[in-house]
Amino acid sequence: MQIKVEEKNGIKVCSAEGDIDINSSPQVKKAFDKLVQARSEKVVINLQKVAYIDSSGLATLVEILKNFKNAGGKLKLCSLSNKVKSLFEITKLEKLFDIKDSEDEALQTF
Amino acid sequence: MGEVIIDIRNVYKKFGDRQILSGVDLQVYKGETLVIMGGSGCGKSTLLRHMTGAIKPDTGSVYMRGQDMGELNEDGLDALRKKFGMLFQSAALFDSLNVRDNVCMPLREHTKLDESIMKIMVKMKLELVGLRGFENLMPAQLSGGMKKRVGLARAIAMDPEIIFYDEPTTGLDPIVASVIDKLILDLSNKLSITSIVVTHDMNSVFRIADRIAMLHEGRILQVGTKDEIRNTDNPLVKQFINGESEGPINFFMDSEGYLEELTK
Repeated sequence: MQIKVEEKNGIKVCSAEGDIDINSSPQVKKAFDKLVQARSEKVVINLQKVAYIDSSGLATLVEILKNFKNAGGKLKLCSLSNKVKSLFEITKLEKLFDIKDSEDEALQTF
Repeated sequence: MGEVIIDIRNVYKKFGDRQILSGVDLQVYKGETLVIMGGSGCGKSTLLRHMTGAIKPDTGSVYMRGQDMGELNEDGLDALRKKFGMLFQSAALFDSLNVRDNVCMPLREHTKLDESIMKIMVKMKLELVGLRGFENLMPAQLSGGMKKRVGLARAIAMDPEIIFYDEPTTGLDPIVASVIDKLILDLSNKLSITSIVVTHDMNSVFRIADRIAMLHEGRILQVGTKDEIRNTDNPLVKQFINGESEGPINFFMDSEGYLEELTK
């Protein structure tokens, strides 16, 4: 699992690559804990290169969202594959997250 | 039919003098719900225990994803077992733990996830079985059907590829039994889980199965779709699905043997 963080117009764009599963979830949480601590207010997680998220990964994203909200930040997800999107739907999480089709759309809607 | 996920080849098993399995051949395909049906004592649960690696065949092999389970050591079996969940007949909950801790058990045992993440996962799993909000209840405060649902939430805690169900609807009233069947179907469809169900509940068999295997005296009599089994020519299968006491399946021992035994 790799997470590349870039800054675009004052927004942190985090591009994840690889599966978010029981093995990689703790690493993902750590990476985003750092952003919360750094008081990043606007964050986009680009999931284009994430083929699969298991339930520990989904729970980790929920925890990350909660932490950003508590710190007064905003989080959006973008570019989900159909498979990953369906995982959000099955677990009814698609309504919890602000999910955009593309990174551009996510950046423009802050 | 797709990828074979479990391949049982010519399995024989004896307990003492009793031959339980006598040359079982059976394949399970990825994503299907296979029901193994048969009368009490026909070897269903023994066959299931071979598939989970709990017991090894006397002869023959059980392959999971191409791996001969008989050749795996305990570590290898443990790694394989993380990929499957099991719902036991009795639900097998820990009476001293509340619902949350019961569902959390496999996560605590096999992962290093934060407690906060596990709590969220438990909520997600309980939502899938319709029991969100029951986290703090103890097993003694739950009905039989609710216990089974908690057992199911625990079985899916680790996102298994395969779930084994041992008599999931036994002892439940017809409505609760159909709720459990619906959950089995939902989980199979939504999460693309392969399900292997051992049961003799005929209503359940025809509600959930993609394919049905009939086991009798340690042998597979027939494997087929619901329609193939319903329209079977096999008199033993016919007798079983119609629940008839008269037929080729013998329920009573020879009465002469009984008298001999009394005077022996």
